[in-house]
Amino acid sequence: MMSDPSKAAHVTIVMIEDDEGHARLIERNIRRAGVTNEIIPFQNGTAALSYLFGADGSGDTNARRALLVLLDLNLPDMSGVSILEKIKSNPNIRRSPVVILTTTDDEREIQRCYDLGANVYITKPVNYESFANAIRQLGLFVSVMQVPTTD
Amino acid sequence: MSIFSSGFARKTLGLMTAATFILVLIAILSIWMVVRTQESAKSVASDREVRIAATVILTALLNAETAQRGFLLTGKEEYLAPLASAESGLPGYLSTLRKATRSVHENDANITRLQELTSIKMRELTRTIDLQREGRHADALMIVNAGEGRTAMDEARNVLGQIIATAESRVGTSLGAMEADARQLAWVTGIGGLSIILFSLMALHFVKENTAGLVAARQKVMELNTGLEDRVAERTTSLTRANEEIQRFAYIVSHDLRAPLVNIMGFTSELDVSTTALKTYFDADEPTEEQTLAAKRAAAEEIPEAVYFIRASTTKMDALIGAILKLSREGRRELKRERVDLDTLFAASAANLQHQLDTANATIEIPQELPSVVGDRLALEQVFGNILENAVKYLAKDRPGLIEVAGEESGGRVKIRIKDNGRGIEEKDLERVFELFRRAGTQDRPGEGVGLAHVRALVRRMGGDVTVTSTFGHETTFEVDLPKKSRIKEPHVESL
Repeated sequence: MMSDPSKAAHVTIVMIEDDEGHARLIERNIRRAGVTNEIIPFQNGTAALSYLFGADGSGDTNARRALLVLLDLNLPDMSGVSILEKIKSNPNIRRSPVVILTTTDDEREIQRCYDLGANVYITKPVNYESFANAIRQLGLFVSVMQVPTTD
Repeated sequence: MSIFSSGFARKTLGLMTAATFILVLIAILSIWMVVRTQESAKSVASDREVRIAATVILTALLNAETAQRGFLLTGKEEYLAPLASAESGLPGYLSTLRKATRSVHENDANITRLQELTSIKMRELTRTIDLQREGRHADALMIVNAGEGRTAMDEARNVLGQIIATAESRVGTSLGAMEADARQLAWVTGIGGLSIILFSLMALHFVKENTAGLVAARQKVMELNTGLEDRVAERTTSLTRANEEIQRFAYIVSHDLRAPLVNIMGFTSELDVSTTALKTYFDADEPTEEQTLAAKRAAAEEIPEAVYFIRASTTKMDALIGAILKLSREGRRELKRERVDLDTLFAASAANLQHQLDTANATIEIPQELPSVVGDRLALEQVFGNILENAVKYLAKDRPGLIEVAGEESGGRVKIRIKDNGRGIEEKDLERVFELFRRAGTQDRPGEGVGLAHVRALVRRMGGDVTVTSTFGHETTFEVDLPKKSRIKEPHVESL
């Protein structure tokens, strides 16, 4: 089930982030960490879901792809938690790692995300140094991580 | 009526005192009557004694006289026996009479006279008998004829008759007095008894009245208690709701205000990076190709991009703060109470939306008659205007829009339903649409996510609530439930 290390380069990063500025900053810092993977940005949940699950909503189209989801919790049209729930309950894409990247540092919210199957939870710090650091570390993490695909 | 009524205490205490007083009076009177009766009985007995003694003396005198006559006629000694017994008995009888007379406090002067008379009579009798025995019958008759004895006898009979009559009349008087006393006692006891019964009845009445008052008071206390519990429960619910709202509000505000801050800080630092690249390029005597590229990228892309985002974030933040301020001002605005005819209000709102309706090829159906409510006109205009505006804004593109308004009134509440055949809201978003800065569905319409949050805050301040039901893709119904006469609440925490 596990993909071999060389596949790390083929991991596609799906970034669901409504704030364009944040998206840009995240992208810059990931690139700075030397990660060159494709990043597909979405500004709202509806568009992201239709990409992730395909037109028929089954997720078939992405079954064989290696995806990493960067997810903001506060989206204008739906809550990130419900996106997380959908991803983790879809048999085709539930093994894709989901990194929650949000401004919310509410304890219960964090617990809830892990309960629902989130793999990493990162709070966006207002302090840019910390923010950039966190993203760069995430980038390093992405460059070495094994992402499974579903057969 | 207070539970320990001083009036009640005073009344019952007064009645008890009066009853006790009457009882004591009856007792004293009874004792007095008994004493009087005893005295009367004693005096009656003494009077009887006087009468008996007088009768005995009279009988003795008559017996003695009869004996004398018999002896004088026949000369036989045996006739003299009663005279002898009278002679021996009389002194004793007289002293008895005197004692009895004294005991009834009667003057005993006539007794002294009686004593003289009896001794005169007895002397005369004795002399005639002595003469008869000596054989001087004629002398004896002469003495009798002289009448001294008869006179004495007559007077004695008179005196004795008087004594007897006096004694009898006194007995009669005493008995009459006793009877009168008894009657009086009976009256007093009867009236006293009746008064006590009356007082008892009155006291009973007061007790009943007071008990009824107590029961009523307890009932009232219980009712108040229940009411209080209900009110506490109501307040608790509303406080809990307010608390949840304030938490959600704080959460939303902290996130939404933080997001642009992250951008400003971030792109400021990015500016630093870019200026460093430029500086390196200008400082270098012969910049490398890489340095040149970096400087070019910084000047052409990175710096403008950073400035753009900083500006956009600042604008966004300003808009957010503006929206929060607006909500806060609206939340603090004092709501007025006036009669508002909802049919007129809806007609005006529809007229305001006419342009949008035409553009969207939509119609609004408003019934001729809608209930009226007492509330704040501006708030009601904002509430229904906002819901109508949303209905027009989120119509489905593939069919002509139809917005229907319906209203009903029951049990002091007015329910207004606004139904549209628009694109609908997914079930998971039904609650979310009321949250500040949140919007549901495809983000293809302008808006800040403030409208419905504001609507809910306003409706709740007027003592009502707004709910939404929807079939996704088909229709949405907003229901506003308002009190017929709204009591204006304190500014809602949600709208800080």
